Amino acid sequence: MKDDELLKDEKVERVLSPHPLSFMRFQSLGIYLVVWGIVFGWIVNMSEWGAAFSGSENFIWALLLWGIGLLLAGVVASLITVRWSIFILYAAIFGSGAGLVFWLGLQDSIGLFAPIYTIFLSIGAFVTIEAYRRSHKYVITNQRITFKGGILVKNERTLRYDKISDLNAKQGIIGQIFGFGTITPISQAGFGLGSDKAEATGGVMLGEKKAKIFGMIGGGKEIQNPMARSYYELHGVHPYKKVKKLVEQLVQGNVITPYQKEQVTFQKEQVDIQKQMRDLLKMQSDSKEGEEPESEENKEKKGS
Amino acid sequence: MEGSPADIVLFAPLAPILGVILFWFIQLLFIESEKFLLDKIRPNHETLCRFTNFLGILFQSICHALGFTITKSGISDFYISVNYGRVAPKKEKKGIFEWIANAFLFVGPFFIPAFLLLICLIFSPVKFEIITPPQLLELKYTFAGQIMTFGTSLHSFAESFFGFLLNIDLFHPGHLGFLLLLIFLGMGIRPSYVGEQKHEKVDMLYDLRNIWSLISHKPLYVVILFFLAYMFFYVSLIFDKILGVNNDWYIAFFILLGWLSIISIASIIIANAILYLIKITDKLEGIWKFIPYITMPLSYLIIRLIFFNILIDYKLFLSLFGMVLCTVIVTYLLLYFKTNKFKTKRVIKKSKKKSKGETDER
Repeated sequence: MKDDELLKDEKVERVLSPHPLSFMRFQSLGIYLVVWGIVFGWIVNMSEWGAAFSGSENFIWALLLWGIGLLLAGVVASLITVRWSIFILYAAIFGSGAGLVFWLGLQDSIGLFAPIYTIFLSIGAFVTIEAYRRSHKYVITNQRITFKGGILVKNERTLRYDKISDLNAKQGIIGQIFGFGTITPISQAGFGLGSDKAEATGGVMLGEKKAKIFGMIGGGKEIQNPMARSYYELHGVHPYKKVKKLVEQLVQGNVITPYQKEQVTFQKEQVDIQKQMRDLLKMQSDSKEGEEPESEENKEKKGS
Repeated sequence: MEGSPADIVLFAPLAPILGVILFWFIQLLFIESEKFLLDKIRPNHETLCRFTNFLGILFQSICHALGFTITKSGISDFYISVNYGRVAPKKEKKGIFEWIANAFLFVGPFFIPAFLLLICLIFSPVKFEIITPPQLLELKYTFAGQIMTFGTSLHSFAESFFGFLLNIDLFHPGHLGFLLLLIFLGMGIRPSYVGEQKHEKVDMLYDLRNIWSLISHKPLYVVILFFLAYMFFYVSLIFDKILGVNNDWYIAFFILLGWLSIISIASIIIANAILYLIKITDKLEGIWKFIPYITMPLSYLIIRLIFFNILIDYKLFLSLFGMVLCTVIVTYLLLYFKTNKFKTKRVIKKSKKKSKGETDER
């Protein structure tokens, strides 16, 4: 954070960025591509089953094998994460690869092309993920947390500690091993909360030809969870425990506790009492000052 | 039937039990050396230690959960972290059920991970042959006969298993995957783990104390277990004699445990070798510490390429041996030239003077 971005009396405590392994859910997609590329290359070129996939007459089987490996993994990953985008991504890789094979006439050398293409794409994926990771920057100051992120579109969020109502902390197994974790500050406005929605529907159709009965039943469930975009939370920060403690201390230092509230009220009352006493004393002294000249006049009158 | 009645009735069933206990002790000794190495590398490799802790806790928790499943206690809570694992039963069962679940927790990590690996080995495309005892020799229901069967079967398995390990093809995804699993298993086989911070002495004696307390707490259950083992032996013997077959199921069960011990010992030896390499390379500074790790795959690749067009036997073994040899030589050369290891006091003083003289000249 540049000095001109800092507020008055603001001091930077820590500047953080996500751990290189904190985007493993994306990186694992690339790792699978590398593994499948190597395994496919081995099956087609080096294994005992290689003969079944070699030659221009058998290239379609090799293409099918490659596609099945990609699409099956896409379906499994999509079902686990409930995100069809993974399947679409793998389907696009398969589609583009198959298109290139036909367009460039690489039917004879699919055993070489498909592994290289798969590994090449995975390298591209790794580079993109790394660029995305590096775009994240979290600045923890004594007054606020600033979250920044995004490759093309720059996103930024600033959160003052007194506006944080809750802190959610999460550490997966890889995070526990490598010492990183995610801290999601939830603001009083509800920023940092998301919802998981699950829906189930079923339908039945009865009857033949003309008379048909159609019934449908469905249900849904929505659960609110602490979640935010990686550039709106302290995503995969290292060292997790120290950062968590620091944020908690800063929040604690900026949020008034019930005891402190009591103390403030008590002090206010004390100040009010003191003010009243001061006013009374002032009034008394004023009245005394007013009385004193009168008494002198009286004395003069009495003397005359 | 050969052998005296006392030998057949009393001593013969004991033979494979003693054999398994012997192998289990060897396993414990290797685990102890692994713990020692992990303790040494902990300051510089906290992450690796956390990873091995996680593996240890994972295996322990799986074994404990398996114990609850077998005793039909059910599992209400299953939690694993890097430092702590918790498996809670749905129904709190006391007596023998609780004892069996605890036995799974303390003894299971020695055998169950190895059993999973054995299944992988049998069902994987890797060519691996398992020879059963009746295929080897005629079974004899005496103490000596049982010991011989046990030993011969274990010898044949060890020959086959180590033969496979020595001829492992690192360019074969199946072989490579198996080797990685073996290493992970070796790093995780620990009935008690080295925690995040060392609070107490958790060693071989600690493990033995745990198992002894399990036995001494309910000695009757141990007697029941021995009784069941003897019954199993007699049933197996009678069954074989009536049908005139040669399938000693009793010895087969203990041979399986022996195989699992051999797999575990092999995996712990490989894990120990890796940990030892890490410990040694920690003495090197800067980029030099990575050279042995680069030498390993590079030397293997070069040797495999050399043997690509040369038709000789044992080229897989030679490649593996060449890789290990190159790594050892490079590591020790680095230790010699870059550290004070393998140097006499005179040489160290001389080199110190030399470096001092160079700095003075500057």
